[in-house]
Amino acid sequence: MRVAGQRAITAWSWISSLLLTGSVVTVVGFVLIKSLPVLHWRLIFGRTPPLEALWRWAPVTGGLWPAIGGTFFLVITAVGLALPFGLGAGIYLADCADGRLKRGLTLLFDVLAGVPSIVVGLFGFSLTIFLHRYLSARIYPSLLISALALAFLVLPYLIRGTQEALENLPNALRLIAPALGATRMQNIFRVLVPKALDGIAGGVLLSIGRCAEDTAVIMLTGAVASAGLPKSLLGSFEALPFYIYYISSQYRDPQELQQGYGAALILLLVCAVLLATSLILKNLLARRVRGW
Amino acid sequence: MRSERCMQSALAAAAWISAAAAVLIFLFMAVLGWPLLGNGDLMQVLCGPWSPMHHQYGIRPMILGTLCIASLALALAVPVSLGCAVFIQVTAPKGLGRALHHLVRLMTGIPTVVYGFVGIFLLVPLVRNLSGHGAGLSILSAGLMLSLLIAPTMILFFVQGLAAVPQSHRQAACALGATPVQQLIYVLLPQARRTLLAGVVLGLGRAMGDTLIALMLAGNSVATPQSILDPTRTLTAHIALIIAADFESPEFRTLFICALILYLMTTLAVAVMRRLAAKPVEIP
Amino acid sequence: MKMKRTCISILLLWFACGAAAAWAGDLDPFRDESGAIKISGGTAHIPVMKAAADLIMQLNPKIQISIAGGGSGVGIKQVGEGLVDIGNSGRKPTDEEIQKYGLVLHQWAIDGVAVVVHPQNPVKALTSEQLKAIYAGTMTNWKALGGPDKAINIYTRDEASGTREVFWEKALAKGEISPKALFVASNGAMKTAVAQDPNAIGYVSVGHIDDSVAAVALDGVAPTLENVKDGKYKIARGLFSNTKGAPQGLTKKFIDFIFSSQGRALIVEQGFIPVK
Repeated sequence: MRVAGQRAITAWSWISSLLLTGSVVTVVGFVLIKSLPVLHWRLIFGRTPPLEALWRWAPVTGGLWPAIGGTFFLVITAVGLALPFGLGAGIYLADCADGRLKRGLTLLFDVLAGVPSIVVGLFGFSLTIFLHRYLSARIYPSLLISALALAFLVLPYLIRGTQEALENLPNALRLIAPALGATRMQNIFRVLVPKALDGIAGGVLLSIGRCAEDTAVIMLTGAVASAGLPKSLLGSFEALPFYIYYISSQYRDPQELQQGYGAALILLLVCAVLLATSLILKNLLARRVRGW
Repeated sequence: MRSERCMQSALAAAAWISAAAAVLIFLFMAVLGWPLLGNGDLMQVLCGPWSPMHHQYGIRPMILGTLCIASLALALAVPVSLGCAVFIQVTAPKGLGRALHHLVRLMTGIPTVVYGFVGIFLLVPLVRNLSGHGAGLSILSAGLMLSLLIAPTMILFFVQGLAAVPQSHRQAACALGATPVQQLIYVLLPQARRTLLAGVVLGLGRAMGDTLIALMLAGNSVATPQSILDPTRTLTAHIALIIAADFESPEFRTLFICALILYLMTTLAVAVMRRLAAKPVEIP
Repeated sequence: MKMKRTCISILLLWFACGAAAAWAGDLDPFRDESGAIKISGGTAHIPVMKAAADLIMQLNPKIQISIAGGGSGVGIKQVGEGLVDIGNSGRKPTDEEIQKYGLVLHQWAIDGVAVVVHPQNPVKALTSEQLKAIYAGTMTNWKALGGPDKAINIYTRDEASGTREVFWEKALAKGEISPKALFVASNGAMKTAVAQDPNAIGYVSVGHIDDSVAAVALDGVAPTLENVKDGKYKIARGLFSNTKGAPQGLTKKFIDFIFSSQGRALIVEQGFIPVK
């Protein structure tokens, strides 16, 4: 291979990297610069004094507080619903299933991970209509339905996170407890899971991030433009990503648009912090395992 | 010993219930779409134009729209992603490569809706003014933003593929006097070929499944696009728009066909990807 | 527009201080209430609904009012199915719909549907024939209409929209709408889209027009509130809030509030003509 060709490849790799970095810096920088003028507590609490909103749950109008609260409760509910199944399935894959069974199950989880979120949203919506008609007239598109649909969406992330954390543990560790007479389950729950806890937590944080950013599912299953803080699981709710989508197409004046930028910045920060923490936790586990 | 068995069955139940979710979604869509699947209307739905005014509910424009936007995004993202992966694994000065790797990992966390938001207020006016044609809401705008969305996923996959090539092969090439770039061309890329392809397929799956970017940036018109500056509507955006319709109308029924097509396309992508990646790779 | 915002802020401040003696009575029924009202449907209604909801929720945090869009078709369908308490529509529900679901109609405002273009566009008047040709996709350049030599970007709404229905029936006489038209999801989104695109043409509720878009006179009649009121501007419609059966409890109080003098003031403020 000639020197010119080699140079071209090196140049191409540099240009690609600069292009990518440049694009990301542009996207994030654009949001940051545009939202600087509104970075003030009024962005979140509107005209309500922050302490009133925090201590007495005073209603907030013209601020992001209801959307932030909605996203918070949504994420808690969704991950809460998915967690037992995600952890259980992850442990099962790592330590109980073998061979063809394991391959079959991971295939299904990969398929589930690939299902577009809008399809999950449509599923949630149709399920609601179905239940509303045939089970109880009190079931509407609501926070609970959105959380349920989101739980489907993040299940594969939880499973994969748990499975990987457990499988990355050194094999020797897997053998010690059984050699001393521990049963399989004792080994899993007393030895392996505690040792892999930071990796598992990393997977959980990752799925929280996925829940917080997803828009397609919630726009079909109960997110609305205006609802105030969520008061029950069966009510409609506001959410940050939906707010950003809504404002992008129907802001009424420049101030509202700027609030949209503010919301985008907050969501960006929340997701970045969650993801970074998740990566750090996974790294911690990997480093510890290497130390053994 | 009874609690031992209980525990194990609980774990198995969790796994099976989770796996059933994937099947359940498919079955639900298939059952609800059945009235259209069952009789001869299916071909009409798949190949016809969308014009509710004339009682035509074909989704061909949306299928084409999805393919156009996804392939444009892929065409833009693959060279850049491969370049970045090569940078991280081969050509970068040590610290810089790691920095980019970290940045790419963080990029996977940027919410789709933020890309859409920035696209509307930064990219769309730019495309409109530079092209001097159309509204700026176009395949090009959506494809550009979408390529940025799928690039990190592909880069992480490519990096894993390149890193998985046994060190000894690289060392052998090195001993023969190959420069790092020569090692890349003659050893790394050929050996990692299947994983790289798998990464591209994964990117394609992601691109087809995204809703918000196409919904916000592609203009959502139902005509068959003639150029990349034309607006178009994807299957995903179609679902988001028509969900508002009366849920007993024929418009609404076509949504399940859209959902089934999306489900099958992404499942196919997953299956191809798993076949290509010989040993299991961490899907970013 | 700025005026509107300022007006609302002043109003809100006024209520917060409890100094609004003249209207204070209209909100009284909500004082000891609690519960939720779900509203969805017509997007032209949203500003009025939101303003009313903000006032009520500010007064009594135990009440939760959620407002979703979707379009008139959605509003009618969802209230009929019992998914929401109030389903708004920017067109009169058909007799079939009223009968099937047992809807009770509450028309609280008159509104028009106006053709809008970008403020920089010199074309400020069109004939019905020209409008039909533009929307059918046979007239594709602004030059022929006295504008710049640029392709016309048509914007339209989805099938669930009452605004689209009224526009299609009364302005286009049920004529073609080109498949090349760009789709937006609400009145608000239509206004924003046209305000950003110098070559756009679209249609919005008259109540939503502000200085970010320019209204186009149709056959010599400008789509102003006065012309809609007098019946000179033909593309007019009512804004309806529909309930399944007679409204009950909190929902009834909300509808009564919209018809109260304070509610009517809100309607005027948002640019619509209240019905007596």
